[in-house]
Amino acid sequence: MKKFEYLKPDSIKETISILSQFGEKAQILNGGTDLIVEMRDKVVQPEYVVDIKAIPGIDKITYSEQDGLHIGATVTLNEVSDSKIVQEHYPILAEACKTVGSYQVRNRATLVGNICNASPAADTAPPLLVLEAKVNIVGSDGEKTILLNQFFVGVKKNILKRGEIVTSVTVPHVEDEWTGVYLKQGRRKDVDLATVGVAVVCIRDEIRIALGAVAPTPVRAFKTEALLRGKTIDESILEKAGKSALTEVSPISDVRSSQEYREEIIKVLVRRAILQVKGVCNA
Amino acid sequence: MLKYVGRSEKRVDGIKKVTGFVRYTDDLKLSGMLYARIKKSPYPHAKILRIDTSKAEKLPGVKVVITGKDVPIRVGLYLEDKTFLAINKVRFIGEPVAAVAAESEEIAEEAVSLIEVDYEELPAVFSPLDGIKPDAPLIHEDLGNYKHASIILPQSGTNISNHYKIRKGDVEKGFKEAGFVFKNDFYVPHIQHSAIENHCAIAQADPEGKITVWAGCQSPYAVRRTLATAFNIPLNKIRVISPAIGGGFGAKAGTTLEGIVIPLAQQTNYRPVKLSFSREDVFTNTFIRQGMYARIKTGVTKDGRIIAEENKFYWDGGAYTEYGVNIARAGGYASTGPYDIPNVKADSICVYTNHPVGGPYRGFGMSEIHFAIEQNLDIVAHKIGMDPAEFRRKNALKDGSATVTGQVLENIGLIQCLDKVVKDIEWDKRVKKASKIKYRGKGIACMYKAPSMPNNVGSSAIVKINEDGTVNLLVTAMDLGQGSDTALTQIAAEILTIPTSQISIVTGDTDCTPYEWQTVASRTIYCCGNSIIRAAEDAKNQMLRLASLKFGIPEDNLELKDGQIVSKIYPDKKVKIADLAMGLTMPDGSGIHGPIIGRGAFIPPDVKDTDKETGQGDKPVAFWTFGVQTAEVEVDIETGEVKVLKIAAAYDVGKAINPELICVQIEGGIVQGLGSALLEEMKIKEGKVLNPSFVDYKIPTTGDTPEMKISIVEVPEPTGPWGARGIAEACMVPTAPAIANAIFDAIGCRINSLPITAEKVLKAIMEKKK
Amino acid sequence: MKHKICFTINREVKEVEVEPNKTLLKMLREDLDLIGAKEGCGAGECGACTVLVDNEPVNSCLMLAVEVDEKEILTIEGLSDGINLDSIQESFLKHNAIQCGYCTPGMVMSAKALLSRNPHPTEEVVKEALAGNLCRCTGYQRIINAVLDVAKKGGKK
Repeated sequence: MKKFEYLKPDSIKETISILSQFGEKAQILNGGTDLIVEMRDKVVQPEYVVDIKAIPGIDKITYSEQDGLHIGATVTLNEVSDSKIVQEHYPILAEACKTVGSYQVRNRATLVGNICNASPAADTAPPLLVLEAKVNIVGSDGEKTILLNQFFVGVKKNILKRGEIVTSVTVPHVEDEWTGVYLKQGRRKDVDLATVGVAVVCIRDEIRIALGAVAPTPVRAFKTEALLRGKTIDESILEKAGKSALTEVSPISDVRSSQEYREEIIKVLVRRAILQVKGVCNA
Repeated sequence: MLKYVGRSEKRVDGIKKVTGFVRYTDDLKLSGMLYARIKKSPYPHAKILRIDTSKAEKLPGVKVVITGKDVPIRVGLYLEDKTFLAINKVRFIGEPVAAVAAESEEIAEEAVSLIEVDYEELPAVFSPLDGIKPDAPLIHEDLGNYKHASIILPQSGTNISNHYKIRKGDVEKGFKEAGFVFKNDFYVPHIQHSAIENHCAIAQADPEGKITVWAGCQSPYAVRRTLATAFNIPLNKIRVISPAIGGGFGAKAGTTLEGIVIPLAQQTNYRPVKLSFSREDVFTNTFIRQGMYARIKTGVTKDGRIIAEENKFYWDGGAYTEYGVNIARAGGYASTGPYDIPNVKADSICVYTNHPVGGPYRGFGMSEIHFAIEQNLDIVAHKIGMDPAEFRRKNALKDGSATVTGQVLENIGLIQCLDKVVKDIEWDKRVKKASKIKYRGKGIACMYKAPSMPNNVGSSAIVKINEDGTVNLLVTAMDLGQGSDTALTQIAAEILTIPTSQISIVTGDTDCTPYEWQTVASRTIYCCGNSIIRAAEDAKNQMLRLASLKFGIPEDNLELKDGQIVSKIYPDKKVKIADLAMGLTMPDGSGIHGPIIGRGAFIPPDVKDTDKETGQGDKPVAFWTFGVQTAEVEVDIETGEVKVLKIAAAYDVGKAINPELICVQIEGGIVQGLGSALLEEMKIKEGKVLNPSFVDYKIPTTGDTPEMKISIVEVPEPTGPWGARGIAEACMVPTAPAIANAIFDAIGCRINSLPITAEKVLKAIMEKKK
Repeated sequence: MKHKICFTINREVKEVEVEPNKTLLKMLREDLDLIGAKEGCGAGECGACTVLVDNEPVNSCLMLAVEVDEKEILTIEGLSDGINLDSIQESFLKHNAIQCGYCTPGMVMSAKALLSRNPHPTEEVVKEALAGNLCRCTGYQRIINAVLDVAKKGGKK
C-alpha cells in the first residue's frame, strides 16, 4: 500500500471538513474490507484515509414503531444480523447480512459501507430496496435524506458529493403483516459474491421485488410489481413475472457467470422468492 | 506382531503446528535481509527488444537489479527448456523479465515499476489443438537443442515437447471385431493447487562462494541440482534448507522461484534476499495443472468386454514443460485406466502454449485422464445397457492381467475396493427424486496410479544412535502435511524396537540429511520407507556384532527386542542400545568400533525403460495403487446446482503404516477432487488469467464437505515396506468422474468438461428438454 | 508519519509506533515476531490471518495496525500458556485436524471465537463460522469434528 496520512476525526463536522478539503485525495475507512483490498491492488491510492469509527452516535442500532429501524454508519454486518431488534422486526435484513463474505469479514464490514461501496451485487441492497430504506447524509450544506433507490447511480457509484458522508440508514416501520426473503445465487455455497440476488417482500398483499448483480446498480422491479398487483399467484403469473423481471435488468457475462445463466436464474429466484413469501409450499 | 507400524500414532509435529510455533519460509527473518520483487511480462508471446533498469537502480534503497543475462543457463527436470528470468523473449503473461532486491518490499515494488521494457508482440498459441497445427507459431524454436531425459521424446521444429506412444496389439482389428464402437471427447481446464502457503524463497551467499537457500520445497535435492546447473556452482557449495511446508500438492516440487533469488543474493555483499509470492503471483508464476483435451475411441464386444481402445491426449503444457513432459508420459503409460484391454493405441502429446507454466499437480496426469476414461466407460456402459459397476468389474485388471505396456500384474486389490464402495454407497438403492426439483444419482469411478519418476532415482536414510539410546533419523523426505514425518518414524521404530517418542526425525537440509530424489509421486513411504528399513537394519546389525563380541555369543543367537540386544537362549545376556551407541568398551577399558551410524539406500528394483515406438515394457513402474470411489449427488434441476451428498472411497494401500493418517489424506483428496469437479477453473483468455485470486477462483470451504466413508484394503506390494504402496495422490483421482457419473445418473445429462458448474448443468438440462 | 498506538497483545500491554499503511497482519509478523497469523491471500478470502480483536475474529490483513489502538488482541501464540494447550488445540490434535498446519492458527482462532460466543453450536453453525477459513489438506471434516467435540464437552478438558 502506498503511504498515506491517517486521520481519525471525532465528529461529523470535522469529518465533513476533511472530506470537503481533500475531495478525491481522501477515502473513508469504515470496515475496511473493501478499501484495504482496493488499496492493496492499487485501485485507489488515497493520500488521506479518514477513519470514521471514533465518531460518536453512529455506531448504534435503534428501533421504534414511529421512526423504524435506524442503523448507524459504523454498525457491522454481524451486529445487524445478531441484533434481536433486526431479527424480530426485519428478519430479511438479518439474513441478507449473513450472506456477505465470511464471519471474519462481517465483524468489520458495515451495512452502510456495503451500500456506499455500491457494488451492483451488494447483498444488503435488495432487501433495503424492497423495504424502501432511506439514506441519511450529512454534508457541508446540511443534512438530507434520500431513498436508497436514488442513492445508487452506477457501477460502484453513489450519489454522494464531495464532502458528504452517510451517517445512517433508516428502514421504515412496516405497518401491516409482512414476510420477506433474500435469495442469493453464488458459485459456491459459502463466502461468495452474488451472481444473482433477489429480495422479495409481501406486505399484506403487496409484493415488492429488488434484484442485485444483474444491472449496473441494485434495482427495484417496479414493472414486475405492477404486473403482480392484485393478481392471484399461479404458475402462469409467476412465469410472466420472471420474464418481466428480465426486462427491468441488464445482466452481463463476466468472469463469474454468463448472461444466459443469470437470465435463467433471475426467473427461477423471482419465482421461488414470491412463492416463499406467499407461504405456498415449494415442493 | 507389529508394534508401531500399522498403528494410528499421533502426528510427531502436531503440537508445534497447533501452537503456531512451526516456521514456514516467510516466517524466517534473517539479519540484514533484503526483499525482492519481479517485473512481469504483459504479453503472452513477445520478443524483448530492450530492458532499461537504470531508473530502478538509482532508486534509494535498491541494492541489485537483474535481468535474463544474469540467469543464462537453461535448466529443467526432464527437459531443459526454462531460465529463471526470460531471455530474448517472453512466453507467458507474467513471465519474470527482471528482479530487484531492495531494503523493503515497498521500495522493491517501486523499483519494479521503474524498469522499462520494450516488447515486440508475436503471434501466440492458446490451445494445444492450435499448437500442433503445422503453421502454429513456434514457442521454443530451439527445442531440438534442448537436453532432455532419455524417456522424453521432443519433436524438434514443433510445439510438441513430448509424444508418448502406446502400440499394443492391433486396435484396427479390435475395432472390427467389436460389437460397438464409441467415440467421446473430454476437456479438463487448467487449475491451481492453491496450497494455503504462498511460495517463498530466501538466498544468502557467503564469502567462500557458498549459497544457502531456504524454500519450502518438496525436493531440496532437486532444487540444489537445478540451481547448481543454472548458476554453475558445484553441489557442495549449495545448501538447500526447507523449513516447514504449508501444502505442496506438486506446486512446490521442482523449482519455481528459487533461481531468482540466487543471482540477487550473489550481488548484495552477503546480505540475504527474500522473495515472497503473493497469492496472485502463485496463480501466474508457479505451476498450474496442465489442461487436457482427450478423445477416446472404445470398441466393446456384445457381452461387455472392451477389446480395443484408442486414446489421444493433448496436454496444454503452458510456456515451459520441463516438468510437464513427464505428465504426458504418465498419461500415456496409464492411458486406459485400470482395465484389461488387449488392443491399445495411445498418443499422449505434450504441447507448448503461451499459458502459465504447467507442472506437477497431485495425480500427475491421473486425475485428468481418469475424468475422461471413467466418464467414457460410464457412457459405454449405459449405451450397451450394462450397470456401470458391473462393466468395470468385468473389465478390471486382475492378477495375471497385462497393462497397456504389457506389464503383467499381481497383487491387485481393485475388486475388493470396488466391492467396498459399492456397498458403502448402497449402489442398488436409488432415491431418484428427493423432491420435485431435486434429483439424486449415484456414480462410480476407478483409478490406478504408479509413481512417475525416472527408473533409477533413489532414496537414502541415516539412523544415528545417540549416547542415551534415543535416535536421530535423517532423511530428506518432506512432510507437506501428509504425515510422512510420523509414518517414517514409525517405520524406524518398528525395526529399532523403540517407541516413536525416542526417535526424532530431521529432514530437509541438503548439507546434513541424505539424498532423496523428491517428495512427489506418492513414493515416499515406499522409497524412503525402504531406505529407513535398511538404515535401521544396518544400525541393528552393527549392534548385533558388538553384542556378539561382548557376550561371545554368535549373532544369529541374538535379537534386538524392546531397545535391547538380548540372547535368544540366555535371556540374562542383554545390553541396551545406549550402551552400544558409542561403540563397545572392552573389559580392559579399550574401546572398539565407534558410534553406531546406520545407513540405507534404495532404488525401486528392476524398473526399466519402455520401447520408444510401442511404449511396451514389462516393468515400467515400481508399483501400482488401485482405488475406487462412489458418489451420491443431488441436483437442483431449476438452477443446475450440484450438491455432493456422500463419497465412499476405498484404496488398496498394501499396508497402512498409519491408518488414521491415510484416512485423513483420503478425505482431503476427496474434497480437493470435489473442488476440481464443481468449482475450479483458471479462466485464461488470450493468455491472461482472469481469476488469479480466491475472489474468483473458488476452492471448497466447510460448506462443501460431503459425508465421507473411507475404507482401506491391504493387498501387500511385495517390494514395499510391510507391503505398503503410495496413496497420497490416488485419493483425489476418481472424485471428479465419480461425481460426473452420479450427475448423469441423476439427470441423464453428460457434462464432458470440468468444472461441472451449475451453469453447465442447467444448460444441459434445458437442451435435453428441447 | 508514524502513529503511536497502545494495545494489549496476548494479555501483555504494548506500545508501538507504526506507519498507517501497515496492516495489523504485517505488524504482528514483522514488528512483534508473532508469525502464527499468515498471509495466504492478503484479501480477506482465506482466513489464514485470523486473530481475535476484542474477542472477535477478524482478517488481520484487512485491518490497519493503527486501528487496534486501545484494543485487545489474541493470537494463536496467546492461546496456550506454553505448558497447557487450549482445549480446542487438544481437540485438533486428537481428531487429526492438522496436516500442513498453515491454516491451523487461523482456524483455531475462528473456532475459539465461535465457542466463546456459542458454546454449543450445531454442525451447521460450526461450518458457517469456519467458512472463511480455507484448508486445502484436510477436507474439513476432522476440523468440524474437533470443534464439535469441544462443544460437547462444554469446553472442559
